[in-house]
Amino acid sequence: MLKMQNIRKSYRTDTIETHALRDFSLEVNEGEFVSVTGPSGSGKTTFLNIAGLLETPTGGQYLLDGQEVGNLSDSERSRLRNEKIGFIFQGFNLIPDLNLFDNIDVPLRYRGFNAKERRRRIEKSLEQVGLSARAKHLPAQLSGGQQQRVAIARALAGEPRFLLADEPTGNLDSLMARQVMELLEFINEWGTTIVMVTHDPDLARRAQRNIQIVDGQVSDLRQTIAQPEAAIA
Amino acid sequence: MIGYYISLAMRSLRGTPILSALMIAAIAVGVGASMTVLTVNYMTSKNPLEHKDSVLYAVQLDSWDPNESYNRGGRGNQIPWQLTYQDATALLRSEIPARQVAMHRFGFTVTTDDSQVRPFVANARVTTRDFFGLFDVPFKHGGTWEKSADETPTLSVVLSSATNAKIFGEKNSVGEVIQLNGEPFTVVGVIEDWNPSPKVHDLNNGAFNDSEEIYIPFGLHRKFEIHSWGNNNGWNSGGNEGVTGYEAHLQSESVWIQYWVELDSAAQKRDYEEFITNYIRQQKEQGRFQRPLKFALTQPSEWLVLNEVLDQDSRVLAWCALAFLLVCVVNAVALLLAKFLRKAPEAGVRRALGAGRGSIFTQHLIESGCIGLLGGLAGIVLTLVGLAGIRVLTDDGFDRVAQMDWAMVFAAIALAVFASLLAGLYPAWRISRTNPSVYLKTQ
Repeated sequence: MLKMQNIRKSYRTDTIETHALRDFSLEVNEGEFVSVTGPSGSGKTTFLNIAGLLETPTGGQYLLDGQEVGNLSDSERSRLRNEKIGFIFQGFNLIPDLNLFDNIDVPLRYRGFNAKERRRRIEKSLEQVGLSARAKHLPAQLSGGQQQRVAIARALAGEPRFLLADEPTGNLDSLMARQVMELLEFINEWGTTIVMVTHDPDLARRAQRNIQIVDGQVSDLRQTIAQPEAAIA
Repeated sequence: MIGYYISLAMRSLRGTPILSALMIAAIAVGVGASMTVLTVNYMTSKNPLEHKDSVLYAVQLDSWDPNESYNRGGRGNQIPWQLTYQDATALLRSEIPARQVAMHRFGFTVTTDDSQVRPFVANARVTTRDFFGLFDVPFKHGGTWEKSADETPTLSVVLSSATNAKIFGEKNSVGEVIQLNGEPFTVVGVIEDWNPSPKVHDLNNGAFNDSEEIYIPFGLHRKFEIHSWGNNNGWNSGGNEGVTGYEAHLQSESVWIQYWVELDSAAQKRDYEEFITNYIRQQKEQGRFQRPLKFALTQPSEWLVLNEVLDQDSRVLAWCALAFLLVCVVNAVALLLAKFLRKAPEAGVRRALGAGRGSIFTQHLIESGCIGLLGGLAGIVLTLVGLAGIRVLTDDGFDRVAQMDWAMVFAAIALAVFASLLAGLYPAWRISRTNPSVYLKTQ
């Protein structure tokens, strides 16, 4: 599903060059649930941005679904992001002046679905996260946990094969965090590949595999539970 | 997606009402000021004879003082704008033009047998019969007078629609008699409302004044000793020896007759130029036209330029107004930049959800366009206010000029949208180039 080889990412100012990732290699298989941990500034978010095609690596090779994505144009990267990747952020990143329906509608609009198809998908994804009755509410009218569920619904509406979550429970209390984590596990059981960055070791342990990033490199690849055979295939 | 972007734009405008109102006001004020000036310039530079521009010509002959060229305050082509009576009557004998008009402005006291109609002084045009055909003047009733009336005194009159209404109501007055300076004139025709603006056929007497109220034949000069109520310029008042009084005026070198011809083909024009050349040579032999041989046949569009109907001040004012619009656009750029960058996190989310840079750019440019559209509508209101102000502050002749037609309404909207798109280009480009990951983490 995702294969990175010797990925490098550096940021340069007039005086300083910072290496966020160096010789970063990783492979995530179809259907896996992988957690990514590491200290602050280790390169977790940079990895997630590159994986999500939001940033381009300075060097190395990145294959997404077998396709080399390093040299794609912005519009091709945007199309891939829209079709194959779903994002869940720590801060939810819902658009505050759009109601839940319209928030979930955003990626579907860029996908070019007609109104009927968009409505079907929005209603289905809201139902999946248990917020069908709140479709016309604004994000500010919901709790943090509900907002994160809307963000998950938005990510799911496009039926992506690859879900990237950046500290999805970071802003939630333990109860809400558990609910969101259960939802992610549920989504993974449906076959969606998930890569989740987290600081929480308990959550990391719930993934099938944990990757630790230190100083921009993978330092540890630990299998946390036995992978189902279907996921390895 | 355009509909989606428009709905997002309207939502965004509602979300920041004060900032949006400021941007709309900036565009509206710029457009209002520009369109007020541009509308006046556009209306004053209109050519009502555009459809006949290739066949109509104003005729000028250089019969002026051999010692100094004709000077009209530095304007024009140094040839008198009008002809002498003797030259006009000589040119009228040519059979080359399809139509030809010798004319000038005059005035008559109008009385009728109807005691309900009070006597009044009417602006008159003393002209040859071709006037109506050459300038496409439409008739409501009747028509023009016989050709013989251009040379021999015939008491015929054509009324304007308003004059007919004033004297006879809505009645067809053809065949009725009115008194002009105490003489009975028979009405032979009534024209429709006809007020070309500018009045290309007579720019000397107020380019934007109303057309005349009555029209009488050119052959009446001697009978009524008609002088011009318009410009009358001369350099040698003496006529032929022993000739005095009004006849001396007719034979003088005073220029007061406006002259137009209709030449339907290049060959006809060539023939007419040759005719004029021969006429001037002949006159030179008789001691007139002592200056180098010079004449001009000028099309209506050039005639408007030559007469500087749209003067230099108006052009400068138009540039000033556009410069002011530019200032407003620069202000709008700053406001748009502030508004768009405030929404950068949302753009970041949209990028993460699959919007390309092009989509973000288009979305924000359309928002600029919507601001322009609203600014344009508000600008039209300001333009109408500006034009009303001009009408109040200027002469009556500007009533028809200081008006917005549909072309200028659409031009105002187009200018506003163009200005706002121009203002939105940089802010939309900036927002589309921002790195989404920065905002996704920090939102």
